[in-house]
Amino acid sequence: MKCHEVIDQFSLYSYGEVSGEAEERIESHLAACAECARAFAKHRGFFEILNRREEPNESALLTECRMDFRRHLTAQTAAPSHGSWLSRLFDLSQFHIPMRIPAGAMALFALGWFAARYTPEKFLGMEAGLVQPMFSNVQSVQSGAPGKVQIAVDEVQRRVVTGSLDEPRIQQLLLDAVREESNPGVRVESIGILRNSADSEQVRGALIDALSHDPNAGVRLKALEGLKQYAGEPAVRQTLANVLLRDDNPGVRVQAIDLLTAHHDDSIVGVLQDVMQKEDDGYIRTRTRDLLETMKASVGTY
Amino acid sequence: MPVAAGTVSAILAAPFEKNAEDRSRASEEAALIRTAQKGDQDAFERLVRTYDQSVLRLAMNLLRSPDEARDVYQEAFLKVYRNLHLFRFDCSFHTWLYRIVTNVCLDHLRRRKVRKEESTVVDTPEGPVDQITRLAEEGPAADPERQTWNRELSEGITTALEGLTPRERTVFELRHYEGLRLRAIGEILGTSEEAAKNCLFRATQKMRSSLETFV
Repeated sequence: MKCHEVIDQFSLYSYGEVSGEAEERIESHLAACAECARAFAKHRGFFEILNRREEPNESALLTECRMDFRRHLTAQTAAPSHGSWLSRLFDLSQFHIPMRIPAGAMALFALGWFAARYTPEKFLGMEAGLVQPMFSNVQSVQSGAPGKVQIAVDEVQRRVVTGSLDEPRIQQLLLDAVREESNPGVRVESIGILRNSADSEQVRGALIDALSHDPNAGVRLKALEGLKQYAGEPAVRQTLANVLLRDDNPGVRVQAIDLLTAHHDDSIVGVLQDVMQKEDDGYIRTRTRDLLETMKASVGTY
Repeated sequence: MPVAAGTVSAILAAPFEKNAEDRSRASEEAALIRTAQKGDQDAFERLVRTYDQSVLRLAMNLLRSPDEARDVYQEAFLKVYRNLHLFRFDCSFHTWLYRIVTNVCLDHLRRRKVRKEESTVVDTPEGPVDQITRLAEEGPAADPERQTWNRELSEGITTALEGLTPRERTVFELRHYEGLRLRAIGEILGTSEEAAKNCLFRATQKMRSSLETFV
């Protein structure tokens, strides 16, 4: 390892964020090179300086924040909400059963009648129905002329959109759903549908992105399934190799090695040798060893 | 030195006890979240109290402004309140909460960039003072020499941090001061471990060159 390479690694090495192998190489270089050892001592001095930053004493502010938050929360819960509307509806369900059936039928009929009149929108050519406002969020309040106030409100509404898979807008919505942060169920469903359209470059990119970055292993597995038929493509193979080295879920790594072995490709020999050094899972090690032997590459560590 | 048999068994048992303790804490937290998801206000407040001090400290350190930290606290926990029903336990609650908090902080930092960096250093009759340092020094027993050195260093660090992009600042704060691993930071910021690593590398290089005079 050259001096400038070692110096470049100082910060990540100090945080313990380099691989075990790189750590050993840095340490043996520091033991042998006085100049780099001095530079590292200086770097540690820099870290010490950072650690002497004055930490704020937030206890007084914390008390204020807690009191403010309690007030906000009380205001939120006091405001009429869908919860209270639903609970009133639930109270209606306490009716005697013979009364509930015709009342329910009437309510459904009325709902259908109003829905037909108040949801005439077409969503860019697709059938779309406005169901109900989901929630609103006040962003700012400004007083204007006497007795007037200007309130900026973000409102989120739910629409039901129906269309065929080859429609660009439907595909775009599915691609957006793949990036839906809070709901892995939606991501799994969307990827399950999109994988049949993986011949589109945009869809394939979304699958690669989900496989590389999605925090949910179920979503990553679904994305992997979608990429199966493209396992021979360089970008997909590179992603599979990264997954094999870095994914913390053994199930995902098993699928990745199975796909990589389906296509013989000498460019992944280095990755496979790295896997032999790092992998704890017996099945993956065996598959990797078999593959390296088939490629007539060395199985040993370096 | 000979070690008593009881000590050995205590040493051997320690990691298991720690794991058991962690597991029990995690299951207690999961129960608390589920109760809060059903609308129990007390459970929600207990959940907030578990994390709010570290959230406020992170916001103070990232934004160096008590007023903005207070806004972040309110905004972040109200978002948690409104969206808690969407939390599905597919990551830790800490990760989920920090994702919300860092997003709110990043929004503040970016807005600040747009209206030109808002310095946390304010003019006072005694000269320019960092608001956060002033907050920390309000204790009666502060030593004047130490105060001066701390002020200079804090101002130096604040200036160095202001030279980072909002994302670099967040990654640096989470790794250096909060001690989170890059993998966890990647999860919080919705990016890869590798991207977080590159960001941290750039941030430390910039910090190092800004603070060269103190080293």
